[in-house]
This record gives sequence, structure tokens and C-alpha cells, in this order.
Amino acid sequence: MPMRKIWVVIRREFLERVRNKWFIITTILGPVLLGLMVILPALLLSRSAGTTHVVVLDATTAEFGRRVTDKLESSPRMEPQYLATGIVNLESVADSLAGEVGDEAIDGFLIVTDATITDGRAEYRGSNVSSQVDMSVMQRYVQEAALAERLVRRGIDPTIVADANMRLRFRTVNIRGGKVTDQSGESVFVLAYFMWIVLYVTLAVYGAQVAGAVVEEKSSRVIEVLASSLRPFQLLAGKVVGVGAVGLFQVTIWAMFARVLIDQQATILGLFGIEVQGDGGFRLPEVPLDSIAVLMVYFVLGFFLYSTMFAAVGAMSSSESEMRQAQQPVLFLFVIPAMLSFGVLTDPNGTLATVLTLVPLSAPVAMPMRWGVAAVPLGELALSVLILILTSIAVTWVAARIYRVGILMYGKRPSPRELLRWIRTA
Amino acid sequence: MPAASVVTVSSITKRYAGHTAVRELSLTVPAGTIYGLLGPNGAGKTTTIRMIMDITVPDEGSVTLFDESGTGRDFSSRIGYLPEERGLYKKMKVLDLLVFLAETKGVTRSHAKREATQWLERLGLGDWTLKKVNDLSKGMQQKVQFISTVLHRPDLLILDEPFSGFDPVNTQLMKNEVVELANAGTTVLFSTHIMEQAEKLCSSVCIIARGEKVVDGQLADIKSNHGGRHVIVAVADGLQRVERVLSDRTLVQNSDNYGQYAELELVESADPQQLLQNLVQTGAQITRFEIAEPTLNKIFIDLVGAGAIRPEALGENAHA
Repeated sequence: MPMRKIWVVIRREFLERVRNKWFIITTILGPVLLGLMVILPALLLSRSAGTTHVVVLDATTAEFGRRVTDKLESSPRMEPQYLATGIVNLESVADSLAGEVGDEAIDGFLIVTDATITDGRAEYRGSNVSSQVDMSVMQRYVQEAALAERLVRRGIDPTIVADANMRLRFRTVNIRGGKVTDQSGESVFVLAYFMWIVLYVTLAVYGAQVAGAVVEEKSSRVIEVLASSLRPFQLLAGKVVGVGAVGLFQVTIWAMFARVLIDQQATILGLFGIEVQGDGGFRLPEVPLDSIAVLMVYFVLGFFLYSTMFAAVGAMSSSESEMRQAQQPVLFLFVIPAMLSFGVLTDPNGTLATVLTLVPLSAPVAMPMRWGVAAVPLGELALSVLILILTSIAVTWVAARIYRVGILMYGKRPSPRELLRWIRTA
Repeated sequence: MPAASVVTVSSITKRYAGHTAVRELSLTVPAGTIYGLLGPNGAGKTTTIRMIMDITVPDEGSVTLFDESGTGRDFSSRIGYLPEERGLYKKMKVLDLLVFLAETKGVTRSHAKREATQWLERLGLGDWTLKKVNDLSKGMQQKVQFISTVLHRPDLLILDEPFSGFDPVNTQLMKNEVVELANAGTTVLFSTHIMEQAEKLCSSVCIIARGEKVVDGQLADIKSNHGGRHVIVAVADGLQRVERVLSDRTLVQNSDNYGQYAELELVESADPQQLLQNLVQTGAQITRFEIAEPTLNKIFIDLVGAGAIRPEALGENAHA
């Protein structure tokens, strides 16, 4: 009988939320945004508008600018143009080029002089100086050209110089638990980041919704009718599980959409007339089953930990606006550990990472991230889960007592001392 | 066979930080009656009802329902409770809401659906079944609230200030429904601070003030215990003509001049006939002379006094 009543509360909470038009909108909008994230960069890259028009203004005596222009031509991003000038009228030429930048005929111009070779100095003036990619590409090519020029001037064979300038292709492979995986450094980061986003967003959004659900029942005064036939615990449990189920449901839908989008990205991009080159496009890192299991366990435990706190916040507020204020401390308790959890990535088996995965406030986010990138000793996992469960039980116990008294209280928000009395007397 | 008493409250006390809301209150609601819990605002009516419902727990004393062990929630399928603080889920559809509330009381889904539809038809809300609560007028929402209280055919109805906050049309409608349910055997316990309503509806009452019981029992008994000395006088050309007789303290202990008529309370040993003679002697044209039962309102004011409305009563909702 008590279970049946909890089930009634869960079902109402779930159905009312899932039928809500905002739920439907965000559920659909999520994949659309994700799709745009895949399509837009590809779209931008594939357009010729994406290339940078640069004039190489050569004021050297040895036509060094030609070498730079050749180098830049090898980059698909760059459309270089060579323009020689004497050092004497360099500034007047530069002035007229600045006018062309103003007319958007070119993006900018690169000035190379003899000092580029002797002192390693070059200058770029343009409208795209804030583009990290453009600047680093040009810097690298000028550097390589200057190096080659210097070596040639010392009489070294140009073919040797070309050999010496060979570009490095750096591959990273993650080792987890002593085993070499097929994960690259990039995909490990993407995976951890993905887990962080999922946990952070769902815990924050759905935790706060529990507070909203509680305060809604209070402000609409439906709570007293409910309290006459349901135990506070049944109400609280029903709320937390119902809202949590909605969260899981939405994330599952998104995950399925993401899978389809990423698997089919070539087809989808094709619809937009974009062709994906061999290794181009975004690739979903392979998520091992154990990582998913850990993610689920910590999501559920973390959700209980935070949503019961949010429920207590809802119970001690009389209106939505009051609740927003009252939930600030809980949000801090959540946001700060979640931010710190990024520290796990720099040294997954360091002291910081170990502490973060044991402290119950950060563990729900930190442990799945750490598990994804490194081999966590099973003992540590068990300890972390145990601490989290015990904390969740303790927090739920306290929150249930605040909830029990708070749902029938209207008027001013309780002081910390009053809260303590609620917890003791409930 | 219904139990002899449906609600038995034994000496319950509830204290809050600053004051005692209810002190050693006992009352018995016999089966099949309409029972009024009366008192001024802040007397402790809502606190008492919440303790009966086990929404708040008494510090001392106990509540027995249906002569069985168990709390209000255990009997939620047999009790219809209309709290003073009323509200509905604004965004739910009317039918879904009624079915949900019935389910929390242990009614099965299909049965709740059938009953809800019938009630909505009956109260003229048949076209609104699939509308959201928010789209309904205030009066319609009140009807829905009332349906949610009686949908599961409770044996006991507990209504906290049922007639305040409802519009006159719904008040009348609800009164009729309550009387009909009572005639069909439902026990009704309701609280009010409006004595005229209690007088019309209740067969038994309990009057409380400052958290304590003042008097309880059958309304007829209470009236006869406090009656016999009440006289109503009306004079065709105005009560001023008989002012001297009405203020004769050897006969009249107390007089309430309502303008058109006066309600008098005679001193204990006085003979009403003597009063009538004195009135006739004034030469005034007497249109009404009636030895009356006191109104419940009069008894209430006599027993409780105007001072019963205590200042901290204003904070009742914050604590109750």
C-alpha cells in the first residue's frame, strides 16, 4: 500500500512533466543544437569564405617573401599574394594596403624585412588578428621560412633543409589499467567532458526542479490535501524519483539522437552539400560499458544527494522567488565541487583526484570522469560509493525532517536555529 | 453497522514556540451526525482538525477514528478532508487531477475515473473534464475541490471553514450536497466561526476559545441549558417608547437592541409575565412578544465574550 501510493506520486510527477510543452521543446531542441554543432563548423570550413586573404609585403633585399608565400600557399586556409617593395616606401605601401583591409578586399598583410632573417622579427597587420588559428599558422610558416633561409645562407643543401623542416605528427594513446586502449588523448578528454556536461546539467537542472515541484505544491496550497492522505516520506520519495526519472528519460533520448547524428553525420552533412574528407568530422569516442555503469550509479546517487537537499530548500520557502534565493547555498555546494572536478583530468591518479572522488559532494561528477580516463582501484571505487551512500542517507534523513515540518509552514523563512529545531522535533 | 462514535479526541494538547494552540481538548463526534466545531478565529479549530487528520501530531492526548487503531492517513480512503488552505494543481487537467487525488486515497484508477466523470457531469462541469484547472473560473475550481473531497464516498467528512472563500452559489450547492451526504449516513465534522451556519446544520457542536473547550454536546441540550430567560420584543412605533422597561435591572439582565426588535435576557428569578404587563402599561403598541430559545450566536458571545479573539490569533496560520 505505501509503495502503491509512492508509485501514484511518481507517475503523476513523470507524466505531467513529460507532457509539458517545455519538456518537449527542450528535448527536441537539444539534438537540433547538437546537430548544428556538427554541421556549422563543417559548413564554415567548406566555404571559400573561410580562407584568409593575405598580402605578403616583401621589403627584403633577397626576395625572402617568395619563400614565405610558397609556404603559405601550402595551407588550405591561406590565400597569399606576393608584393615586393623597397624598404624606403614600405610605409606608404603599407598605408594603401591598410585601406584595402578597410575595404575588405584583403584580410591583412604580412611584412617581412631583412630583420626577419637576422633578428627574427616580422609584423602582421590585419582585421583578423584575433584569430588564434590564422596567427599561429602564419607564425609557424614565417618561422620555418626564416629557418630555411638562414640555413641556405650558411651554405647548407636545400634538400637537407627541407628534410630538417619535416612536420611532426603527434599521436596520443591512453593507457588505462596497464592496457593500451584505442582511445586518443582527444577522445579521452571529449569523453570526460561529455560525462561532466551530462552530470552537471542533469543534476543542476533536475535537482532544482525538485525544489520547484515542492514549492509549487506549497504555493498552490494543494499540499495540505496531499498531506492528509500521503506520508511526507511518500511525497518526498515520489517527487525525487519522478523528477529523476524525467531527467534520465531526457538524457536517454538525447544520447540516442546524438548516436544517430554522429553515426550518420556524413549523410546528414551530404544533405547540406558538404563532403566530409577522410578523417574529418567529429567522432564519438567509444564509451566502454563499465564507464556507463559507473556514470549511472553516480548519477542516481548524486541525484538523491542533491535533489533531497533541493526538496528541503523548496519546503522551507513559501514562493518561487523565495526558493531561488534559498537554493543559492545548495547550488554553491554543487557548482564548486563540479568545477574542481576538472582537476581530475590533469592528474587522474594524483592526490587531488583521489580526494575529489572520495568527497561526497564532488564524487558524483569527479568519479565518472576519473573512471573514464584512468584505472581507479576497485577499493577506492567501493569506498567512494559507500561514503556517497551514507552521506545520501544522512542528507535524506535531515531533508525529510525539514520537508515534513516545512511543507505546512508559511510566512517568513526559518532561521538556521529554527531549522535545527525542525530537524530535532519532526 | 456504523461505529457509535466516529471521532474521539481525548485530551489533546498542542504547544508552539510562543503559545499553547490547543489545551486538553476532548470531544466525541457521534456517527451519522453533522457536528460543528465552533470558535472565533485563532481558537485552535484548524490545529484541532489537523491533529485529527494526523497532519500535525499532538504533544499530549490521542485521537481515535472509527473506534479502531490507526491515524488519519491510514483511513484516508474513508475520510474526505477539505482543508482551510485549499488549492489544486493549476496545470493539470481536471479529470487527471481528480483521479490522482482519489488514487492518493487508495481508490483504483478506473473507479476514480468513473466517479469523477459522474460528479463533474452532476455539478455542470461535464464540458470541462479535459481542460486545465487554470482555465476554469474560481467558482468552477471550488466545485472541483469539493468533488475531490467527496469523490471516494467517505464515511467521514472533515471540512475546515467550508463556507468561507466559496461564492454564495457554491456555498448553497455545497451545503445541499453535505446535507444529502449526511442524510445518506455520512458523518460530517466541520469548523466555522459563523454561528448562523452551525445553527442551521449541526445537531451537535463543540465551542472552543483560546484553545480550550467552552461547551459541547447536542445543540438542543445546549440551547435549553442556556435558554428560558430569553425574550424577544418588538414595538410598532419604536423601542424608545419602552426604553424605561427594558433598562429595568430588576427584571432585565441584558438587552440587545437590534433596532427592529430587542433580544432580552431576564434576571434569574424574573417572571416574563411581569415584563409583559410592564410593557403593556407603557401604552406602546406591542407587535411581538416571544419567549425564545437563544440563538447560538448569543450563547457563543455569552460564553466566550468578545475578548476571546486573542491577538496572537493573527499568527495562527504560521503555526497551525
